[in-house]
Amino acid sequence: MELENKKIKIQAKNLNVYYGAKQALFNINLEINQKEVTALIGPSGCGKSTFIRCINRMNDVIDICKVDGSIEIDGSEINDKKVDVVMLREKIGMVFQKPNPFPKSIYDNIAYGPIIHGLAEEKNQMDNIVETSLKKAALWDEVKDRLDEPGTSLSGGQQQRLCIARALSVSPEVILMDEPCSALDPIATAKIEELIDELKKSYTIVIVTHSMAQAVRVSQKTGFFHMGKIIEVDSTDKIFKNPSNKMTQDYITGRFG
Amino acid sequence: MAGTGHTVKSYEEEMQSLNDNLVKMGSLTETQIADAMAAVIKVDKDSVDKIVKNDGSINELRSIIDEQITTVLVKRAPMAVDLRITISTMKISHDLERIGDLAKSIAKKVKPLPIDLPDELVGSLRRLGDLVQKQLKEVLDAYLNKSKDKSIEIWRKDEQVDDLTNLAMNEVANYLQSDKKNLEIATHLLFVTKNIERAGDHITNIAESLYYLIEGEYLEGARPKGKPIDS
Amino acid sequence: MTKEERLKKRYNSEKRFKFYGILSVSLAMIFVLVLIQNIVSKGSSAFSRTTIEVDVIYDANLLEIEGPITKEALNNAEFYDLSVESILKIFPSQNAKEERQVLRLFSPDFEYEVKRVLSKKPNKINDIVPIRLTASDDVDQLNKGNFPRDLPEDRRRVSNFQLNIYDNLVEQDKIGKKFNDYFFTKGDSRDPELAGIGGSLMGSFFTIVICLILSFPIAIMASIYLEEFAPKNKITDFIEININNLAAVPSIVYGLLGLGILLSVMEFPRSTPLVAGITLSLMTLPRIIIPCRASLKAVPPSIREAALSVGASKFQTVFHHVVPLAMPGTLSGTIIGLAQALGETAPLILIGMVAFVVDIPGTPVDPSASLPVQVFLWSEQAERGFVEKTSATIMMLLGFLIVMNFIAVYLRQKFEKKWN
Repeated sequence: MELENKKIKIQAKNLNVYYGAKQALFNINLEINQKEVTALIGPSGCGKSTFIRCINRMNDVIDICKVDGSIEIDGSEINDKKVDVVMLREKIGMVFQKPNPFPKSIYDNIAYGPIIHGLAEEKNQMDNIVETSLKKAALWDEVKDRLDEPGTSLSGGQQQRLCIARALSVSPEVILMDEPCSALDPIATAKIEELIDELKKSYTIVIVTHSMAQAVRVSQKTGFFHMGKIIEVDSTDKIFKNPSNKMTQDYITGRFG
Repeated sequence: MAGTGHTVKSYEEEMQSLNDNLVKMGSLTETQIADAMAAVIKVDKDSVDKIVKNDGSINELRSIIDEQITTVLVKRAPMAVDLRITISTMKISHDLERIGDLAKSIAKKVKPLPIDLPDELVGSLRRLGDLVQKQLKEVLDAYLNKSKDKSIEIWRKDEQVDDLTNLAMNEVANYLQSDKKNLEIATHLLFVTKNIERAGDHITNIAESLYYLIEGEYLEGARPKGKPIDS
Repeated sequence: MTKEERLKKRYNSEKRFKFYGILSVSLAMIFVLVLIQNIVSKGSSAFSRTTIEVDVIYDANLLEIEGPITKEALNNAEFYDLSVESILKIFPSQNAKEERQVLRLFSPDFEYEVKRVLSKKPNKINDIVPIRLTASDDVDQLNKGNFPRDLPEDRRRVSNFQLNIYDNLVEQDKIGKKFNDYFFTKGDSRDPELAGIGGSLMGSFFTIVICLILSFPIAIMASIYLEEFAPKNKITDFIEININNLAAVPSIVYGLLGLGILLSVMEFPRSTPLVAGITLSLMTLPRIIIPCRASLKAVPPSIREAALSVGASKFQTVFHHVVPLAMPGTLSGTIIGLAQALGETAPLILIGMVAFVVDIPGTPVDPSASLPVQVFLWSEQAERGFVEKTSATIMMLLGFLIVMNFIAVYLRQKFEKKWN
């Protein structure tokens, strides 16, 4: 099968996550392959968002959250105390459920990341980065004449693509997406899915989604989470045509959840 | 197959209705084949018109099922077992309709037949017809019970159908040889034999579709075939 | 009750509520208007002063200048005799008593006014120059109609003789009114017509500037630290409770603090804007911290997450994204806090800003009064002339408060436009 030829980009081993006394993830073992889209599905509160937030250590900002276990990216452990979280997040971009552009101009939204990471020394280098990022996010043509306008003046779908461009501006290797299309209309959703198809050629993508149909459309591998545990992980084809686990089948056919 | 029902009741009802319609179609087809074979064996020319007319209800059911499937696809975007049920039901209904058409063709061939066909010939036709009828009944039961083993068994028995077909064809050849004036009748009888065999093939198709519905995989390898006729 | 009846009841209670709201707002507006009308009617006259036109004879001989008449010589000369000579000419007086009464029609500053005119135009020496000299506060009040004329003489501030001269001068068109620049340029004075808010204005200005310089950065830093960086534990909870309580402490307590520590222990100079500024900054600190923290809290977490996800450190997230978004609320809070500090009287009295200070302070360590203290001081004076000055000062204070509030609104809108 196609999976065996892919390199592993992210590996979670025996990952347990606690919010105070409550355990949110139980012994998660999951491999994310390089330059491929992995979808995480499951009912609300099953831990999928908690899991992807572990990958870029966004859970660090939550005081009561405790992460136990290992997550390796390209073979190096990210939960190590010596790891610089800021550098980690340069490598891993994130797009959120509700588009959250900075209250700055479109240009400044994209330029912020490169500025703080020192990726451009001159103005025309920065202009390049902004243009490239916007082109990769399929937004350049729509905004190239109004880069000075605030990011919040765009429509919902455009804002989300702006957020994607912002994530791309620091040249990450992995892009995490937490229900990126939940707040968007069908056309905007279709544009983002198109974008994901394109992006997977160069980036490793992990997407959390509530839409079964979307998971089938965009991903090559799917993991089904339930109550903090992984029930089944397999190629998207297998999961949605003939899942091995009854709980998986019951969930995707709408028999529970 | 799937334990609890769909959360959305109307989805559950739609799938159940699909199932029921297919079962009904199968039972009508069963009757048609039985009647057609009986007509051939007894050379009962009066029952032919009724058989031809009844084919209409099978076709009608096929249209209903097609429409229902289209609705399920657009409305429910079925996944996993639901997806396989939907696709398999469509294939099976088409196979059943073809079997119904073959029964009609067989019945139409009864009118020109004489009443004094040789016993061996009639006997071989009857054995072939009985086997195929049994296959059909078995496959419809297998569908009702979603039985994997039964579907494999039926799929394998296609070999036997081929063997009995060859035997029947030999008898027809003998009949022709015995009196050259029997050419026309022999031709009709050949068509009848062939149609029964093709009905058998469609039943094997149904078994394959059923296996895919249950297992999510395809029955491997070429269908077992009987030995060809020696000319 | 039927559905229609219930609905009607709901609409009726809404209408009633609206009515009460409009009533309350109207009452408040009426009170404000009455207050303003009261103050303005009393204070607007302070912006003009009465003048008496006198033909001043710049007789060089009366100046007792030895040698050539240079600018320097003129500066050193005594103008008293020259001025008196010219003034007494406006009305014949029969004896010394009457002469004194004539002179008392004028503000005691007259000789300096005469001198000033010549200094500006030294070529007028030996000329006769008609000058509008400032009238005394009695004449000023008389001219403004504040002294009833039908009282018996011994109960009046102005004698019959003076009254006679006044009427005479009015007929000769020599009584006039001029814009009272003294009100803005001069410091405090025993003579109401010469009293101005120049000193207290600078005093308040220095005080507010020092208060701002001290309280704003400390408050902002404290808020940012407490809200964004400090761990959430019992100690920080305790600090938060204390800050909230400090904001409610009566301001006079801060005065006591200023008196006890700054003046007694640290021996800072009394009566200075420096001490006032430090004292008021202690009071203003919690009043800035509270809105600043509220603004920081109000910044949506999605902005923080966005910044963190792009690889910003906590520090960068806070200072590049959260703080700018919290600025509108913080600035509003700061300006309101400063406006409150501007109007504080009790603590400043305690630290000694009640001194009678004539000179206008040049630095924050020169003694001075502040605007509200000045109001307090003048309100206690007997002279009628101080009434209008008090009200005029209140008008100035209110004016500044309104300006500061407008600045707050403007800054807030400007920052919010950037957000949207």
